[in-house]
Amino acid sequence: MAIPISIFYYIYLIFVAIFLIFTFFNVYHLLRFGFLSLGNIAVTFFYITITILILSVSWGYLNQIDWQQTFSIIPQLP
Amino acid sequence: MMIKFFIPNRLHGEKIIFLLRRHPMILLAKLINWALISVLPLIFYWLLSDSISRIFPGTIFMPLVILFTSLFYLYIWLFAFASYVDYYLDVWIVTNQRIIDIEQKGLFSRVVAEQKIDRIQDVTSEIKGFFSTMLDYGNVYVQTAGEKERFVFKQVPAPYQVAKKIGKIIEQNQRKNQAKK
Repeated sequence: MAIPISIFYYIYLIFVAIFLIFTFFNVYHLLRFGFLSLGNIAVTFFYITITILILSVSWGYLNQIDWQQTFSIIPQLP
Repeated sequence: MMIKFFIPNRLHGEKIIFLLRRHPMILLAKLINWALISVLPLIFYWLLSDSISRIFPGTIFMPLVILFTSLFYLYIWLFAFASYVDYYLDVWIVTNQRIIDIEQKGLFSRVVAEQKIDRIQDVTSEIKGFFSTMLDYGNVYVQTAGEKERFVFKQVPAPYQVAKKIGKIIEQNQRKNQAKK
């Protein structure tokens, strides 16, 4: 039975979506309940920058993969 | 700016005497912890890449490694940031009229408690453990009148001085109240 490897990509996207939701709430809390110091804003921007960097590098690698490939979960007999 | 963001329901003539957070070492220890965990995939890959490539066939091995590594670092980065947010939003404020305890418990729970200065009965400081003694941080317990739980300023820098300062504020407040009578 052949399964496309894109299934892992979709699972990955679900985890990225959860990550983005938690990021939003963390940044929201920091800006809503923290106080607007330069240090606080710098930390938030640093966090967002590194997040974009991780996602960009990941996208660079993921883009090179052919997601139409399949793999077999039942070993094929020769 | 500080008053606007930190004091809920500010009272007339209320002034911040000091604002406390945990000792920065507490945050640093958490960040070092996440930094050490972030090295694990490299060690894991170095030790087990041959075995894993045998378990997973050629077409699936590299995509899985890339997806897992990407998610791992995204979440390590998120947890490190959440540690900072938790550190930053746990605040204890002492004003000339009351003590306010603000604690962020997880992402969706925020507890704000307050007590009037003239209801405080006892202030105790505690330094426990090797690092706490070396770096001078610990807990300050503020016992108030009534059945309410005592306030705990957790892992704050210079707890002895903090307790002493609160004691002085209570004394000043008592003198003011007596003068009014």
